[in-house]
Amino acid sequence: MTITSLPISSLINKLKNKEITAREVIENYAKNIYEKEKNIKAFINLDIEKALKRAGELDKMDEKKGLLFGVPVAVKDNMNVKNCETTAGSQILKGYISPYNATVVKKLKEENAIIIGKTNMDEFAMGSSNENSSFFPTHNPVNYDYVPGGSSGGSAASVKSEEVLVALGSDTGGSVREPAAFCGVVGLKPTYGLVSRYGLIAFSSSLDQIGPLTRNVKDCAIMLNAIAGFDPHDETSVNIKKKDYTNLLGKEIKGKRIGIIKEVMEFNIQDEIKEELKKTINTLVKLGVTITEISIAHLKYALPAYYIVAPSEASSNLSRFDGVRYGLTVQGKNLTSTYELTRTEGFGEEVKRRILIGTFALSAGYYDAYYLKASKVRKILANEFEKAFETVDTLLLPTTATTAFKLGEKKSPLEMYMSDIFTIPVNLAGLPAISVPHGSDKNGLPIGMQLIGSWFKEKELLQIAYAVENG
Amino acid sequence: MVDIDKIEKLAALKLKEKEKETILNDLEEIIHYFEILKEVNTENVELQIYTKKAHLFLRKDEAKNGLRKEDLEKNKTLARENFYKVKHIIGE
Repeated sequence: MTITSLPISSLINKLKNKEITAREVIENYAKNIYEKEKNIKAFINLDIEKALKRAGELDKMDEKKGLLFGVPVAVKDNMNVKNCETTAGSQILKGYISPYNATVVKKLKEENAIIIGKTNMDEFAMGSSNENSSFFPTHNPVNYDYVPGGSSGGSAASVKSEEVLVALGSDTGGSVREPAAFCGVVGLKPTYGLVSRYGLIAFSSSLDQIGPLTRNVKDCAIMLNAIAGFDPHDETSVNIKKKDYTNLLGKEIKGKRIGIIKEVMEFNIQDEIKEELKKTINTLVKLGVTITEISIAHLKYALPAYYIVAPSEASSNLSRFDGVRYGLTVQGKNLTSTYELTRTEGFGEEVKRRILIGTFALSAGYYDAYYLKASKVRKILANEFEKAFETVDTLLLPTTATTAFKLGEKKSPLEMYMSDIFTIPVNLAGLPAISVPHGSDKNGLPIGMQLIGSWFKEKELLQIAYAVENG
Repeated sequence: MVDIDKIEKLAALKLKEKEKETILNDLEEIIHYFEILKEVNTENVELQIYTKKAHLFLRKDEAKNGLRKEDLEKNKTLARENFYKVKHIIGE
């Protein structure tokens, strides 16, 4: 086993036993980066020198402590890392140097993780393929002709290709889970409020949630241990008791109740994915769980509701990019024209499109028909999930209806939005969900199975995910 | 049906003519897709602005240290001496 293929616990043991040094760990990962990055392009910013320096400091420590001691981590470029450039994949933030650390970044540092770089993403996290990055598209490490998914595509690709051990992504409508499924890694979107959003560049504040991308479920649980927790800097942070998310992993799941959503089958799903779903069900049945069919009758309305709510919030959140406070400035003849010229030049096409959708949905005369209606549909969906969790512990469905598509293959925005049909309902309801790799299609492209848990039931969710992973 | 000029102004954007045409087509297609929500009966349904189980709270009104000036000054667009420099807005 090479150093870069070790899971977190084995790596830390080797570091503690002085079988290897943190510097060697970074050097090994750097070797992979030099070899693969030209084809994958997972990073917007890399700072290997800084990582090596930090590794040297860790090696000098007498006491090797921290949940992530010496673990190389990548951070999606919409999270602030102090004194580093943070662009959110946008030209409008080019040159913006973060004056503070996001809470999650602070926590990673406190656990002695080593940050290697900032990963590529769809601009302001708006996209499902990473093709909306204003810098360059990231390629799927499994096959370079295919997209890695989005918007945390750089994070998923960097973990899969062993350029880092683990990464952070953010998930507003599936942006952790979809790239995890497309690249064949584990991706968790925690319950809304479990992980602080302080220092995450806001896209849609009522839906955004930071989550880990890892190569296995146990590493995912360790990462959640490191990043979860109450933060007074985030008014939506929830103050619940600290838990150890690893301690149910490997425990028997006999007697657990798993629900299959009837309405999922009404969508057009790739045959190989349907097959993997059946295989997953069979595995779980063998492990002694009961399978129940349940109904989320309004499932098909989640996508239109999301594409009203998220752009509406984005149109408001992105008003702060005005050419005055951050990054790019294009001077106009007066203040209004400076705003307009900066925003027009600085934002990419998809971002402009979503700002315009949101502005329209919130404008006088249309607010009731669109935003208000969508927010009520959101309530109906959340209620349906709550009812489902009265009879089942976890829901099982595919993460995506297809495997990764080719770069440049999807043309219309609406066609691209459809990639998120199975991930979006989770964000609207604020639930936790995880994507676990399960098989591949005839072209060797990975398939992801998604498990959805009830609010704050990440421990139980990870327990089942572990069973699915280890079958 | 979408008054693109009005929406563009509200959003502080100034699209090029060609871009405007493409985006308008996309918007009309997307907004047409939203019509499917009319099938849902939302009578007597409450609004859900934040997700279920989310609780908003207020911090205590206590003074705390904010960001350090030295850290903020690394950004070139930040203006001098604790002020933002913008174009004048009075007397146009």
